[in-house]
Amino acid sequence: MQPRSEGMLEGHISRSFDGELAGLHIRVLEMGGLALDQVRAASRAYADWDVRNAQHVIDREGELLGCGARIYDDQLTLIARRNPVASDLRAIIALAKVGAELDRVGAEARKIARTVLQQSGRPGRGTSSDARHLANLAITLLRLSLEALDRLDTEQADQVIDRDQDLDAEYASGLRRLLTRALENPSQLEVTVEAAFVLKSLERIGDHARNICEQIGGMAAQAVRVARAP
Amino acid sequence: MQDSNQTLASPSLSPAVFAANGEHHPDAGLNLRPGARGSATSRLDGAVIGATVGTVTVVDPVFSCRDVNVYYGAKHAINGVSLDVGKKQVLAMIGPSGCGKSTFLRCLNRMNDTIAGARVTGQILLDGQDIQDPARDVVQLRARVGMVFQKPNPFPKSIYDNVAFGPRLHGLVRRRADLDELVCTSLQRAGLWNEVKDRLTQSGTGLSGGQQQRLCIARTIAVMPHVILMDEPCSALDPIATARIEDLIDELKESFAIAIVTHSMQQAARVSQRTAYFHMGSLVEVGETDKIFTNPRHRLTEDYITGRFG
Repeated sequence: MQPRSEGMLEGHISRSFDGELAGLHIRVLEMGGLALDQVRAASRAYADWDVRNAQHVIDREGELLGCGARIYDDQLTLIARRNPVASDLRAIIALAKVGAELDRVGAEARKIARTVLQQSGRPGRGTSSDARHLANLAITLLRLSLEALDRLDTEQADQVIDRDQDLDAEYASGLRRLLTRALENPSQLEVTVEAAFVLKSLERIGDHARNICEQIGGMAAQAVRVARAP
Repeated sequence: MQDSNQTLASPSLSPAVFAANGEHHPDAGLNLRPGARGSATSRLDGAVIGATVGTVTVVDPVFSCRDVNVYYGAKHAINGVSLDVGKKQVLAMIGPSGCGKSTFLRCLNRMNDTIAGARVTGQILLDGQDIQDPARDVVQLRARVGMVFQKPNPFPKSIYDNVAFGPRLHGLVRRRADLDELVCTSLQRAGLWNEVKDRLTQSGTGLSGGQQQRLCIARTIAVMPHVILMDEPCSALDPIATARIEDLIDELKESFAIAIVTHSMQQAARVSQRTAYFHMGSLVEVGETDKIFTNPRHRLTEDYITGRFG
């Protein structure tokens, strides 16, 4: 069984408060699932140069934005009605920040999809493969961060924070290879620039996964720890 | 679930673990999912009160209490509480009913003397002098340590006489003009002057609840105390009157030390600079109010202020 830090969001005398907090948590997770889907679809669309899939990502963005708006509303309502303090307050703020991170993940996915729709030119096989590799890493980090958020698992959150460095390293070497190819084939400059932006977006998605995990840490790590005077 | 905490590689990451001594909360691993909730009381099982968490002392205290115990007959109502009250700041005392916060407050002006069978041990220094000394004049003590109660309790006298009573009793003023001025400034500082200046001769009991409470505060500050004790001063008032009193407390703290017992955690958060959390006669945690309400260190404090038991 995984170590867990649960119980943070419940146990209130007011059970409806438990329910509202859990509701917020679940909505953030749903938004996370949607954002993850968007990243999957967008990166696949780029690697396969699939215009239809890219358009699908753009079409679905409103759904993600709606999720974010709902989370914002829920957060305001919870604060106004429940006057949360201590761990409850930190959890609500942290979940809202996670929502904002997922918003940005969605924006990166949109950027990637737009690259395909602009039809500036299909990247070469090497670049596609680099993008696919980077996308796999970014998607894994995002998925792990959402799992950690689901279980409020600080240990897994820390692992994601560590692993973000791997993605950064892969991004750096992917960029180097891209530059080499650009030098070998200067006529493809626009494609190269677009590809660099796509790699950057994927690297950013890893950063957002990392930020999500830092919020999980913030929710949990500062919670009550002391029983006796130091 | 409970056992899972034992397997943590880095215990400090888990809120379920006491960092100080490595003790584990047996109930910390409640399931997050709605519908699978632990009962509110089960969180208390095994929660250790232990010694007070946080800094009980302040620089330049008005009150300095050490190892205060209160017994009502066989009942041990306050259990070794040490706590300072600082100058020019508000100390809020919170905790569930029967936790001893009011009892502790009543030690500070020896109100427990009036209760048969009550016994107070330990040291309570007011400006460095022990107030427990039997030779000490309690009337003088209560002039220096004023008190405002839950229900406004003006004397059935005129508004003027309510405020003038203390100064007269303690011989603070000799001339009528000085007394007039003292009544006026006390009512002004209590934020009541403009509402009552034209009817000072009318009975204090004819005022609204909020006005009566401000009259009681005016009466308290008229004798120029060092400390004002407030025992749930707003619980009988409406929100507007409450806001007025809270605003007043904020102003008064520039001149007096204030210790307030309140059932409203939001009120404690709004008015105080330090908060003390009492539980079953013990002082569990004391600290800066900002810290207590965002990031308390003791599990019991956390559970109480987040509404997980009470």
